[in-house]
Amino acid sequence: MTSFSEELVAISEQGAAAVLATVVEVAGESRVEAGAKCLVRDGKVAAENIGDPAAVEAILRESAARLSAEKSQLVSLDLPSGKLEVFFEVMPEPPKLIVVGAGHIAVPLVQIAKVLDFHVIVIDDRLLFANRERFPDADEVLVGDMARVLKEMTLTPACYIVLITRGHSYDEPCLREIIHSQAKYIGMIGSRRRIKACFQRFRDEDKVAEEVIERVYAPIGLDIGTETPAEIALAILGEVIKVRRGGKAASLSDR
Amino acid sequence: MAGLGSCYEGGDGEGKKKDSIYHQVKEFLDKGETLAVATIVSVKGSTPREVGAKMVVTAWGEILGTIGGGCGEADVKREAIEAIRTRKPRTVRIDLLDDISSDSPAVCGGIMNIFIDPWWPERDQEAGSAR
Repeated sequence: MTSFSEELVAISEQGAAAVLATVVEVAGESRVEAGAKCLVRDGKVAAENIGDPAAVEAILRESAARLSAEKSQLVSLDLPSGKLEVFFEVMPEPPKLIVVGAGHIAVPLVQIAKVLDFHVIVIDDRLLFANRERFPDADEVLVGDMARVLKEMTLTPACYIVLITRGHSYDEPCLREIIHSQAKYIGMIGSRRRIKACFQRFRDEDKVAEEVIERVYAPIGLDIGTETPAEIALAILGEVIKVRRGGKAASLSDR
Repeated sequence: MAGLGSCYEGGDGEGKKKDSIYHQVKEFLDKGETLAVATIVSVKGSTPREVGAKMVVTAWGEILGTIGGGCGEADVKREAIEAIRTRKPRTVRIDLLDDISSDSPAVCGGIMNIFIDPWWPERDQEAGSAR
């Protein structure tokens, strides 16, 4: 038999999405004890000592909502046997930053992204750029045709993709591979003129719907007056965090 | 994960996290110890840490992690040792409003509710009906 702590350690090491529900308070006739737990992984109960099937069902339902909101929260569950105050601890899949193009912006981008606790993957087709010496902090450095590497990847809503290759002719085929993916963020570098032309080709030749094109953040990054590669990297990650956490990116003092 | 025509460039790859709070919890449980996990379950106003922040307290009052530095941590530690002794969980309300006039650096101004949950090996093994 397994234990809660064993399951929790496995979840942390495998980077799985999970919710640990702990009963904090019990009112009414319910025989559930404070401190009882239900660990939900992949939408299923991985471990529980709640002992009340109706409560477990309610917890399972609420867990899905908490996980999609990525927010830990105390929730009151009204059950026939009484009211339970349950704390839902959300352990979302760790966010993944996929950096396509290992040029001069990628270097500070990877460094800052690691400080922000992203799992960072760098892709380039040139070993001279995509290597461990250049990216000692990256979790994965992949060398290969960039569009093809992206095509082979499983892209989940925990993925944030930054297209910063050395040229437009590389960004565009990459974007074509990922534009319909589940990735939460897709950003592409480039001038407004080139981006406009690219989007027009997507509309005309690939019949990509307008709302799909609108998902793409291009030109990439927040407007903070960047000048250096590191500042551009910060502007890109500022935008990524804004999308992840749902911020507005205005100065707090301007409210 | 890398596709056709790509190769993997060195490194240990999947940077496994071995430092989660549950790694520490498991380590203590494996030694047969009882410990308490204190979690911020709700807040009101300005608090040093967010809902979900955790701190582990051992039976000797050793602390791992933080729920906000000086803000109420001593109270939580005392209650945690009591929870470990009685093996009964409890919720503690920490009112940081009182601190404003003090010269403590931990001036926050909010209220936080902290659930203190004792863990011991037998309880941890009750993982039950995995389905």
